[in-house]
Amino acid sequence: MSFTVLQVILITLLAFIKHIDYYGIPMLFVNYPVFWGLFTGIIVGDVNTGLVVGGTVQLMALGVSGFGGSSVPDYGTTTIIATAIGTKMGIEAGLALGIPVGMLGVQFDVIVKILNGFVVKKSQEYANKKEFKKMNLVLWICPILFGLSAAIPVFISLTLGTTAVNFLLNNMPTWFISGLTLAGNMLPAVGIAMLLRFMPLKQYINYFLIGFVISAFLKMPVIGVAIVGFALAFDLYKRREHEASLNISGGGDNEDE
Amino acid sequence: MNNSEDTQQSNIITKKDLRRANRRWLMSVCTFNYQSQQGASVVYALSPSLRKIYKDDEDYVEALNNHFQYFNTQPWLASIILGAVLAMEEKQGKEVQRAIQDFKIGIMGPLAGIGDSLLMVLIPTIFGSIAAYMAKEGNPIGIILWFIIILIIFFFRMRCFEFGYKQGMKVITEYGQKLTYITEAASVLGLTVIGALIPSVINLKVLAKFKFGDVTMEIQPLIDQILPSLIPVLITFIVYKLLGYRRMSVTKIIFLVIIFAMILARFGILA
Repeated sequence: MSFTVLQVILITLLAFIKHIDYYGIPMLFVNYPVFWGLFTGIIVGDVNTGLVVGGTVQLMALGVSGFGGSSVPDYGTTTIIATAIGTKMGIEAGLALGIPVGMLGVQFDVIVKILNGFVVKKSQEYANKKEFKKMNLVLWICPILFGLSAAIPVFISLTLGTTAVNFLLNNMPTWFISGLTLAGNMLPAVGIAMLLRFMPLKQYINYFLIGFVISAFLKMPVIGVAIVGFALAFDLYKRREHEASLNISGGGDNEDE
Repeated sequence: MNNSEDTQQSNIITKKDLRRANRRWLMSVCTFNYQSQQGASVVYALSPSLRKIYKDDEDYVEALNNHFQYFNTQPWLASIILGAVLAMEEKQGKEVQRAIQDFKIGIMGPLAGIGDSLLMVLIPTIFGSIAAYMAKEGNPIGIILWFIIILIIFFFRMRCFEFGYKQGMKVITEYGQKLTYITEAASVLGLTVIGALIPSVINLKVLAKFKFGDVTMEIQPLIDQILPSLIPVLITFIVYKLLGYRRMSVTKIIFLVIIFAMILARFGILA
């Protein structure tokens, strides 16, 4: 019913690496749930649960990404916890613990960014004192703090989590569990709405409607819709280029290649 | 030494230095703080190159302090700006400190716009939803496909400093027009896909039924006749409107959705 010591260490380390990757080094998997579900699945020896949890949370997290330093829920941590707990007690139980901890990720993120302010101030002091080695070295505290902000919650969830989840599951009303499942189905709407806020929806609502109709009525898979979207985008690009060449016709054509 | 400055300065920064700066820039968002945002990472990335340009300690410290100032953009494309900055520092030296900071601030916004919409939204939305679907059925192919895209982008990312250095400001001014077309076309692609995501990603069914004496009538088939995915569209629309309010943070909305879902589940209205 519980994890081996090695598994706890590896999963905690995975969360640490995940967050350092997320903030830049080397920013490959940017906290994308499908990847972290897969990696956690490999560690706990249940790849399938990792894939299912990763896929589920990925859909919840679509479009939720922290631009310009805003703090967003840590769905990567949600995935790691939900996968690990999910292999022991079922995916629903895993999500029941993983989602709240992921939401706390917003607060952890803010705390680290405040602490980083002190580290950076120290670094600049070293620069002014001409201690250039220390100036660079001290900055490494920042990624470590980010790493810990994911590793510590994961460690606590794994060690106390199973007992806590057991207790909760035995005492939790059914509407709470089915409510969380329903929330999981509804939350993608938040990400999609955020995407729509970010994109020029009012200007190009026609393309949005095309995508909606071919999916809702014709049931075309997303990959097919993406190809249609690409065709439409290509057309617009060509049109814009053509318009521009008409407008400046005569001068300033750049004919490289 | 002074008389040969012009010829010597043209190759202070080598390809190796640029690669190194590119690697060190991976620090990017790691030093994020509310005062200078990514400023300290700029210092971390550029300091070895700046040391080569500014032999004098005082000049070096001045350049470092300049870069400790506010900087924030999409970190992958930032490499192009910072490569161009190194070219400016090398060619014109300390007289242009002010201009360098202005250049960074001025170019930050447009690049963040392109980078965020293309690299941080569009690609994760398309490949993320494909990968997620396949993963939910236990199939990792979508994840592998996405990973290949990530590796390709990474390959280009690690060369952005060289690109920026070589092109200097030319790239942003000359290709500026084309970049706006690409952003516009990307928005079209993005919106088409997002339109498709509402019916395919949000799965909601109405459980509630009408009861007229002995006759019960299911609501969901009625809704399907009006518009498939009406409920997902409504929910997305409500959240879209909520996001317009200043006091509504994303976190608050997510909490609201969870509470709302629990109430609906409690009374068996939606599933």
